[in-house]
Amino acid sequence: MGLVEVATGRILDSFSVFLFLTILLMAVSRRVSTSVLLFSVQSAIIAGEAFATGFRERLVEAYVIGVLIVVIKVIAIPRAFFGLVGHLKTSSDVKASTTPTQSVFIAAAMIYLSYVAVQSYGQSVHVSEDALAAPIALILTGAFLMVSRKKALMQMLGLMVLENGIFLAALTTTFGMPLVIEIGVFFDLLMGLLLMGVFAFRIRDTFDHLDVSKLRRLRG
Amino acid sequence: MKIALNILQAILIILGAPLVRGIVARCKAFLQRRQGASIWRPYYDLAKLFRKEDLVPPTASAVFRVVPFILFATTICAVAFVPLLQPAALLASHGDFFLFVYLLAIGRFFLSLGAFDGGSAFGGMGASREALISCLAEAPFLLSFVAIAILASHADIAGMVSWTLQQNFFNVSAVHILAFTSLGMVVIAETGRMPVDNPTTHLELTMIHEAMILEYSGTRLALIEWASAIKLHAMLALLAALFFPWGMASGASVGFVALSLPLYCAKIGLLIILLAVIESGMAKLRMYLVPDFLGVASAVSVLAVIFTFLAKR
Repeated sequence: MGLVEVATGRILDSFSVFLFLTILLMAVSRRVSTSVLLFSVQSAIIAGEAFATGFRERLVEAYVIGVLIVVIKVIAIPRAFFGLVGHLKTSSDVKASTTPTQSVFIAAAMIYLSYVAVQSYGQSVHVSEDALAAPIALILTGAFLMVSRKKALMQMLGLMVLENGIFLAALTTTFGMPLVIEIGVFFDLLMGLLLMGVFAFRIRDTFDHLDVSKLRRLRG
Repeated sequence: MKIALNILQAILIILGAPLVRGIVARCKAFLQRRQGASIWRPYYDLAKLFRKEDLVPPTASAVFRVVPFILFATTICAVAFVPLLQPAALLASHGDFFLFVYLLAIGRFFLSLGAFDGGSAFGGMGASREALISCLAEAPFLLSFVAIAILASHADIAGMVSWTLQQNFFNVSAVHILAFTSLGMVVIAETGRMPVDNPTTHLELTMIHEAMILEYSGTRLALIEWASAIKLHAMLALLAALFFPWGMASGASVGFVALSLPLYCAKIGLLIILLAVIESGMAKLRMYLVPDFLGVASAVSVLAVIFTFLAKR
């Protein structure tokens, strides 16, 4: 076995550790732009895993999906987010309801939880625990980001992280979903971002801020 | 031969320390599009300080006078635990990583005492900040060592390094990456680098290290400056040894040493560039955000220790 094969074989496991790092950094980041940048890095890592899977399993579809991830999630969506942040002209703070230290400990607890959750599946599946736990940690942190950040843009970003987790789960366990479904999901994400962008502008125009916790007062 | 090499690597850390500082400053100057001072500048500074008159405040007691010597001595002692060219060190068999961490802590403790004893308001301010930072940095510092010690089942630093040396490069586990992140943050906090403390100025109200040594001059100041340069070099060498030991001399022949020395310089060079990029790219944190910074380091190191039980690979 050549060096390239060994390296690609290890990539799925080693890269999941870098995913954990992006999760922890997202938990501490205070600015929307930092979080978006981290999301971009995270998607790039996942694209790398897709390419590695395609190389190892000789799947052409995985390459196509990898290219789609690079185009949409690494470049297009972050650019759209940066554009939104620039146009909305609100403060760059994410308005976290937990302090960075609390957030990072919660994220660490979620990573631990995901390891505990996959413990029983570890024996029956061919992949390592790291590769199984990373998607679950992504899903949990995505949900955590949506819950704990009050800025409306961060809800969308949390959803994106969550979707990254779902994609990665499909990739590690079954070498990815069929191409048609993946393209559908990407389309869904782009539509979601578009709607969220329009919605964020409307929220700002009506209330002069993007703090979703203050929308409670709308109840009749 | 082996002992000779051990002595050589300790001397290399001590004498090369000002050079490391000079290169960091030069890298930062380059990144900021400045001309920058020569990389040999710290040596000239030290030589000048050693020739200067040594002034002691009239209110200071004997503590103030002996502090620089204690600091220098403990730092040199700690250096004797750091493997550089081979997975062994001068005092490696005489103590474990706890001794290394607390030798540095003794130096810091006495430096804070000296700052209080100097009698200026700045000294006390800097010392209390240093105490806060070092007690927050202690947990991640120890825990990231503990994580690797559990993996290697060795408590001495040289043992950990030689264990890592036997591992496959692609077998880097979660523990190593997390411990490296946490230890890197601790190095930044401990050596007073940019996001925590600004090493280039002594004119800020937020200074920490510079505030403590404000009252020192002459030979004593030179010793303190040299000791902090040695500390920076030793910490960077430790990062290189613990996480990228590949290329260290496995035997004690001249050929191995001739190979491992340039490799060591390359590794340290990469770390210096990384440090310069971090320092140029980040603004200094507000004092109240430093506990958050170190809290993140703590969480990462706790995670590293947990991972030693989860991911036994």
